[in-house]
Amino acid sequence: MMVKIADQLESEIQAIFSGDTPWVTIVWDDPVNLQTYVVYVFMELFGYPKARATELMLQVHNEGKAIVSSGSREEMEHDVARLHEYGLWATLQRGDQL
Amino acid sequence: MTATEGFARHGDHSYIAQFGESEKEVLLNLCEQIIELLAGRTDHGQEDPLAAMVGITSHDSPPEDEVLHRLLPNAYADQVDASEFRRYTESTLRQKKQAHAISMRIHLKSADDGMVDLDHDSANAWLGALNDIRLALGVRLKVEKNSQEELELLSPDDPLRGVYAVYTWLGWLQGTLLTALIDDADEDAESALGNS
Repeated sequence: MMVKIADQLESEIQAIFSGDTPWVTIVWDDPVNLQTYVVYVFMELFGYPKARATELMLQVHNEGKAIVSSGSREEMEHDVARLHEYGLWATLQRGDQL
Repeated sequence: MTATEGFARHGDHSYIAQFGESEKEVLLNLCEQIIELLAGRTDHGQEDPLAAMVGITSHDSPPEDEVLHRLLPNAYADQVDASEFRRYTESTLRQKKQAHAISMRIHLKSADDGMVDLDHDSANAWLGALNDIRLALGVRLKVEKNSQEELELLSPDDPLRGVYAVYTWLGWLQGTLLTALIDDADEDAESALGNS
C-alpha cells in the first residue's frame, strides 16, 4: 500500500515539475446557446477551423459535454474565463480525473 | 416601425442592420437591464483598496440570483477551487460583460436612423451581449425544463408569452449576425490557404 502511494506521489511530483499534468477545459450543453453561436465562439477563441468547431459543438450537444482545450492549469483558467465572457458554460479540471 | 431584416455583411468585416424605432427601444431596454443587473452585484465589504485595484472581489460564493448565477458560473466543480477562482476573476468577468452591453448600447444610441454598422470587434461585443440577454430570459422562461413546444403554447394572457417572443426574436437576430460573421471567417481561412 505504501509503495502504491509513494509511486503515485512520485508520478504526481514528476508531472508537476515536468509541467505535463494535463488540465482540460470542458464545455457543457446549454439549451439557450445557439449551435451556430457555439461554433463561432470555438472558432474565434481557439482559432479552430469551422469543421473542428462544428464537431466539438455537436459533441457538446449530443453527449452533454466536450473537452475543448487542454494544457496547463493557468492556460485552462484563461480559456474558461474567456468562454464565460461569451456565456458558454465551461469548467476546468485535471485531465486524469475525468 | 420597420421590422429589421437582421444583420447582413457589407463589404469586408462590416455588418449592418436597420432597426425600427420600437425594435431599438426593446434592445436598449434589455441592454440597460443587463448593465444594471451586473452592477447590482457590488463588491460589498471591500476593505482592501489594493485588492480592489487588482480586481480581487469579496465574492467567493456564486450569486443567489439564478440569472446572475448563469452569467457568472463556477469555473470548477470543486467548491474550494471555484471560490478561489471567483474571488480573483469575477469582478473582471462582470466588467467584460458590462462592456459588451455598453458597447451595444452606444451603437444603438448613436443610430439616429436605426442603422447600426459593426466592425469585427463590436460584432463580437454584440454577440456576447445578445447572448447574455438570451441567457437571462432563458432562465426566467425555464428553458431547461420547458420544451420549445410548451413555450409556444403559452396562453396569450401569460406574461411569459411576450418574453418568449422577444427571446425567439433575439435568437433570430443573433443568428443573422453569426451567419454573416462565419461566412467572413470562412472566406478569410480560404484565402489564407490560397496564399500559402
